[in-house]
Amino acid sequence: MLFDRRQIFAALAAGAAARMVRAADDSVAIPGKRPMILHNDRPEDLETPVRYFDSYLTPVDVFFVRQHIPRPAPIDPETYRLTVNGMVSKPLSLSLADLKKLPQYTVPAVLECTGNGRGFYSPKVPGIQWGRGAIGNAEWNGPRISEILKLAGASSGAAFLETDGADTGAIKTPDFIRSLPMAKALHPATLLALNMNGQPIPNLHGFPARLVVPGWDGTSSVKWVIRLSATAEPNRGFFMNPGYRYPKYALPPGTPARPAELEVIEGMPVKSTITAPEDQSKAPLGPIAIRGFAWAGEQAIERVDVSTDGGSRWREARLTGARLPFAWRLWQIEWQPTDPGYYTILSRATDSAGRVQPIVAEWNPSGYLWNAIDRVGVTVEKA
Amino acid sequence: MRKLVPMILAALLAAALWSADQATLDRGKKEEQQSCTPCHSLRLIHSQRLSRATWGKEIDKMAGWGTVVPDRDALLEYLVANYGDDKPVPPPAMSEDGTGKK
Ligand code: HEC
Repeated sequence: MLFDRRQIFAALAAGAAARMVRAADDSVAIPGKRPMILHNDRPEDLETPVRYFDSYLTPVDVFFVRQHIPRPAPIDPETYRLTVNGMVSKPLSLSLADLKKLPQYTVPAVLECTGNGRGFYSPKVPGIQWGRGAIGNAEWNGPRISEILKLAGASSGAAFLETDGADTGAIKTPDFIRSLPMAKALHPATLLALNMNGQPIPNLHGFPARLVVPGWDGTSSVKWVIRLSATAEPNRGFFMNPGYRYPKYALPPGTPARPAELEVIEGMPVKSTITAPEDQSKAPLGPIAIRGFAWAGEQAIERVDVSTDGGSRWREARLTGARLPFAWRLWQIEWQPTDPGYYTILSRATDSAGRVQPIVAEWNPSGYLWNAIDRVGVTVEKA
Repeated sequence: MRKLVPMILAALLAAALWSADQATLDRGKKEEQQSCTPCHSLRLIHSQRLSRATWGKEIDKMAGWGTVVPDRDALLEYLVANYGDDKPVPPPAMSEDGTGKK
């Protein structure tokens, strides 16, 4: 018997509805993940609670997860093939073993969802209402994209790299395809990562191979990569346009985008985040460590300043870790409040290009690139 | 007595109006369960706090991706009534520990 589209849709919908009625209220355990902030369970969109950000490398089992369309069925590492085609002289079909034979490089880099912090924008915009935790710093390891393209004999006339993940849209939802200017694809830090923090990339994070585009928004780092194509023109699918674009000229908050004036997002802005104390927490009067992380896309973090009085006075925090592009730096400052009461703590990062975290993040219709000075409130109580 | 009749009528009318409203919201909820669950969970929808205009645009965006919404008006009323931008933001939901699971 043949099913037409309508029947398949109806069957899909009925099955999904039955699953959903349960899942809408019930809590959910995500295999391989500790408790995380649950924005969406099908597909999984998970945010890292700030208390897990105390280590330089964010552990895989609390690393944030972002998906647009249903996750592909687990990929069999034995039968996996990466297609390399387009403007190349030798189209390739590479196995995982082939990819492992290429020189392997390790790059510590932050991945941050383009919409991290969207929940802080006012007026509210549609999209996952991320707080502080759609970000993580990991050590990525795998072959360079430049060496894969060299193997395929990519033409010097190719201006873009188009990357397709194995995930496909349901019904008429668009396929997840992204393109990257060739100059960034050929950067020595741009990898087809096979490992994350020293272990094979878990399925939720793109097993067996994902793009890692250091310094750029997380959406550039396509998961479950099955095709790399050298192209003359950028892809024009939904996830390149209008998805993941930012107004060229700032708009009054709450007003719609002007499609002709939207640009593809590339390098990420300068940003620091306070991870301790937690917002609206209580602390006994005594010494308090204020901690956080800071990163600046393709730049390095130069300094982080902290205020404990709402921004009247600032002190420079102590940075740990190397001054690197792409990766974050952790920072810390000791604070000894003299009185109990409510305090507003702020952090402000400055990067190697002289960019300074702004007081007000620029509102935009998709709620991207939130990077306002971070702010938490803490009540200090008599010990 | 002369005053009572209009009062009863007014009460009946109010009840009818309210139930019409409630009936629309119930239809909207049903519509959501049928039309909005094939591609993602309802969590993604219920965590938003949007204006009527933005909810309308969201429904149209989903329709553009093949979502069939026979009772659009009721769905819109339901979304605005429960997840409008005047409603408080819900506390974050947490997943349970899944580290033991494969
Ligand atoms: C055909 C598949 C499909 C159906 C059915 C569907 N959606 Fe979606 N929806 C999506 C996809 C895909 C996304 C995520 C897009 C992204 O991440 O960029 C999404 C995201 C959303 C979001 C988050 C904001 C945004 O625009 O990304 C909301 C709200 C939403 N859907 C509402 C609804 C409602 C209401 C319905 C029922 C009328 C519905 N969806 C039915 C595919 C669907």
